Formats: sequence, structure tokens, C-alpha cells
Amino acid sequence: MTESPSERADAAGPPPRVRVTAPRPGGAGASARPLPPNARGAPTSDIAGVYVRSLIRSQLRLAIVFAAGFAAATTLFVLAIALVPSLDSSFVFGVPVSWLLLGAGVYPLALTVAGLYVRAAARNEARYRSLTEAE
Amino acid sequence: MNPVIGYTAIAAVALASALIGFYGLRVSRTTSDFYVASRTVRPWWNASAIGGEYLSAASFLGIAGLILLQGAGGLWFPIGYTAGYLMLLLFVAAPLRRSGAYTIPDFTEARLESTWARRVTSTLVIVIGWFYIVPQLQGAALTVRITTGLPSWVGSVAVAVLVAVIVAAGGMRSITFVQAFQFWLKLTALAVPVVALLLILGGGEPPAQLAPAEAFPPAAGPGDLDVYRTVSLMVALLLGTLGLPHVLVRFYTNPDGVAARRTTVIVLALLSVFYLFPTVFGLLGRAFAPDLATAGEADALILLLPGRLVPGIWGELLTALVIAGAFGAFLSTSSGLVVSLAGVISQDLLGGSVRGFRIAAVVSSLVPLVVALSTESTGLAGSVGLVFAFTASTLCPMLILGIWWRGLTARGAIAGMLTGALLSGGAILGGPLLSAAAPALGPFLEQPAAWTVPLAVIVTVLVAKGDQRGIPRGTDAFLTRLHVPERQVH
Repeated sequence: MTESPSERADAAGPPPRVRVTAPRPGGAGASARPLPPNARGAPTSDIAGVYVRSLIRSQLRLAIVFAAGFAAATTLFVLAIALVPSLDSSFVFGVPVSWLLLGAGVYPLALTVAGLYVRAAARNEARYRSLTEAE
Repeated sequence: MNPVIGYTAIAAVALASALIGFYGLRVSRTTSDFYVASRTVRPWWNASAIGGEYLSAASFLGIAGLILLQGAGGLWFPIGYTAGYLMLLLFVAAPLRRSGAYTIPDFTEARLESTWARRVTSTLVIVIGWFYIVPQLQGAALTVRITTGLPSWVGSVAVAVLVAVIVAAGGMRSITFVQAFQFWLKLTALAVPVVALLLILGGGEPPAQLAPAEAFPPAAGPGDLDVYRTVSLMVALLLGTLGLPHVLVRFYTNPDGVAARRTTVIVLALLSVFYLFPTVFGLLGRAFAPDLATAGEADALILLLPGRLVPGIWGELLTALVIAGAFGAFLSTSSGLVVSLAGVISQDLLGGSVRGFRIAAVVSSLVPLVVALSTESTGLAGSVGLVFAFTASTLCPMLILGIWWRGLTARGAIAGMLTGALLSGGAILGGPLLSAAAPALGPFLEQPAAWTVPLAVIVTVLVAKGDQRGIPRGTDAFLTRLHVPERQVH
């Protein structure tokens, strides 16, 4: 891990205090982050524009597929709980299994979907990067 | 309940918040926390800070109360509050970080290149923030009344004044460390009592309790689902999280889009763990404190249960801990909201000066106080749910379409936001009157998100389609900036 300039400055002593208000777009805050090589201004060529549009489309498709998948899985899970009446009458620690399942079961599902999505979204970005850098 | 415990716990938390607020500013590297070091804030810290600001009265007290009152229907609220971050991850997190916008009005102005779109967004953000603070103040009123016996208004006034003073004096700026600490305080304040209660109930003589079949009747169980209400509530909670004004600020402190995603996943994990504890409290309440299941009183379940089940000094200590956690929740959420609201108000109306920020901070605390004092709380989780429905119908369509659709125009966004605001606001405010006249409409007015969100989206798209010459010139460049990954640094 490389040491950032700010951390080095802090080691030398606290930086002078400056009043901070929210940065405006285009102000210090917005320009402080490193821009991707081809994001300054409009795409430089038609090819670049095509790559960006296809990246946006594939990321959107990915988000919609994962959102729909989560909704469908949750619906099935709840239907399964509702349609098995024995879950209402079997108790663990005095609480019906159906209540425990609904109370704790959706969170692992959401976390799984989130973890898979992060990988897939990063894959899309890696593909975009390899396309544009190969040029 | 022994009022001394209440006084002590509340005074300790108020004092600690004020001290951290005033002195924490000097300790923290103020400027760098915003600009430079903020971009090196680790996702774990950032995620804890988001959790600290997000977990409000509704999460800390409201969910257990709702489970006690309604049964399994209440279990849907924490699911929605958590899964909202999944939607945030899928549709918003990385692009929003890359936009460089610091607030939602900043994003609107940069994306749509329109001052009017910015003004409409700012107005909505202010309204949403104010109505989000109201339940915090009502939670404080309830806590003070139950734990000290003082009249309810004392609690609301105390929190509003404390927040106004701390924020106006310059403390409690969005210091990542303080809000991160708040998350772990709130988690501890619920986890320790839950573990203690479960150990005591598992070990010793169980106190008087309802038979399991009576405490958890199938009629209030997961199988007895009101489909429309549940779906509409989920639409509101899943999409409403995207537009909360105090959440967006935290995404700015991620180094890049990839870190924004990682932070969001950690938030999901932290919330998943946190919400297990109010859920257990609610389930224990159904078995051991069924007498509290009345509207308005149920939200006090978490405050009362430890004292009832654990006799003596240990019960009093556990009670002090939950009171402290609850007050921490009111203070952290309210001050986070007041800071973001005061920022928006002072920038857009008062020229962005420090004096303007202070005036705005005082106004942002007093307006919700007036509303809180003049209305009666019917359930903390429910009223926060309505704020989510309003947010989902107004800011969410604009944000999602702005990030993913190049055809969005300022006119389309304004038309959609106003449609969503009128429909969902009208349903929430006029609902009680209208549903008395036409009871069949009741559920649609009480949970409006399922029809107001699609209508807002349709209006936005139709107006923007008819206004294709209004597409901002910089659209392609801005969308490129949102979606193209940052240069990788190894």
C-alpha cells in the first residue's frame, strides 16, 4: 500500500484549519478525484462512445436482473413459508419456525445477491477496460 | 420505573454528544476529513458511519413495537430498511460516487444543467428531511415520558434544542469517526440486553408468559399476508433509501466507485446483524409483555422489557443502556439530517455563508419540533415508512433515470417529481379524510408507493420524450463520467 500525500502531511503535524462548505460540482471536491483517461469531456471518438454505451447497457441489464432475482427469490421464500402450515405449529424456543424464517431468512439472501452483483459489475468494468486499453 | 436511571442515562448521552460535537471538531482533521483523508476512509469505517446515521428511532424502538403490535407484518420493516441498500448498490452507489456530487441537488444540477430542477430537488430534500426528523422527536418524547415521568414535550424540545445548538455551533459535522462510533453504541445497547435476557430466560425460572400458540397466532403470522400493503411497503422502503439526504453525503467519502460498492455491501451486512436484535425484542415482547400492545405504547417495549424481566440493579443497568442507545439514535439521526438540510438551505437560499448555515440549522430543528408537538405519534416505524414512500415517489425516479437514461430532461424530471410529490403527499395527508368517505380506498391511501412511484416514472418519461430538444448538451460526457471505471491504481 502506498502512503498518500495527506497522510504524510498529517505525520508532520496537523494541517492548518480551513473553513469547509459543501463543494459545488466542478469545484475543488469534484475535480479532486482522478478522472478516467477518456472521461474528460465528450468521448473522443465514435468507437469510444459505442464502448461507453455498451458498458452502461450491460451494467443496467445486470442491475435489473439482480433486482428481479432478489424480488423473485423473496416472493418464493415467503410463499413457501405461507404454504407450509406446519411451520406455524412447530416451535423453536417458543417461537413458530415460520416467524423465525421470515425474521432472519431474507438478510442472507440480500447479502448473497449483493456479493454476486459486486463481482459481476467489476467483471463488466474489467471487460470495458480491456477493450479500451487494447486500442 | 426508577426516574433516576432515566435522568442519568439521558443526561450522560446528551453531555457526551455535546462534548464530542464541540471538541471532536478540534481533534478530527476537519478539512482533510472532508476532502483528502475522506477519500482514504476505509470502507468499514464508512459503512459503520452510514449505519450510525441511518439507524433512527424507527429502527431502534419502532420495529420491536410494530412486531408486538402487528405480529409478523412488522418483520417486513427491517427487511425493507436493509434491502433498500441492495437497491442502492444495484442502481446508484458507484455512479453516484463517480458523479462527484455532494448532495442530491448538486447531482440534479450537474446532470440536468437546470437551476429550476435544482430548486425543486432542494425543496423536496428539505421537506423529506423535516418529516424524517419528526419521528425522532416523537421517539424522544416517548422515551422521556416513560423513563422519567416528565411531560412528553420535554423530550422533543430537549432533542431539538440540543441538535440545533450542536450543529449551529459547528460541532457534529459529518465526522466519520463520531457517526461510526454511534453505530457500535446502538448495536451494543440492543445486543447486550438481548443476550442477557435470553440467558436469564434460558437459565432461571421463566416469568409469567403467554402460551406460544397465543403469543404467535397464525392469524398474525407470516402466512396471513396482506399482499397489496406488503408489496407497497416494500416498494417504498426499497426505493426510498436511494433518496435519503444524509446517506448520499457518505458515499462521497469513498475513494472510488468500486469502494462505494464495497461500502454498501458492508452496510448491508451491518444492518442485517443489527436488525436481528430489535426483532428478538419484539418476539420476546409478544410472549412476556402482551399488555403493552396498544398504539402509542408499543414503541416503549424496548425501554420497559429489561426492567420487567430482570429484577434489581442489573435490570436498572440494562434499562439505562437501552435508554442511552435510544437517545443516541435520536441525536445522531437528527443531527445528521440537520447538517445536510442546513447545507442545502444555506447554499440555495442564504448564499452559503457560515451565518446562513447557523440560521438554517436552527430553522431545520424548529420546524420539525412544531410538527412533532402538534401531532400525536401513532407508531414510529409507520411514520418513517410514509417518509420513505414520499422519497420513493419523488427523488428516486429522478435519480435512477438520471443515472441510466440519456433521454432525461429537466422538464421531465421536474414534472415527475411534482407528480410524485402531489400524489404521495396528497395520499398521506388527505388519506384519513378520504378513506373515511370511501373505505375501499383505505389501503391504497395508507400505503401509496405501489401506484405513486410508477405514475411518477411514467410522467417523467412521457414529458422527457416530448422534450427531446431539452436534453442537456453535456449528457454523454456526464454519463461517461458516471459509468466508466476509475483508472486502477495498484
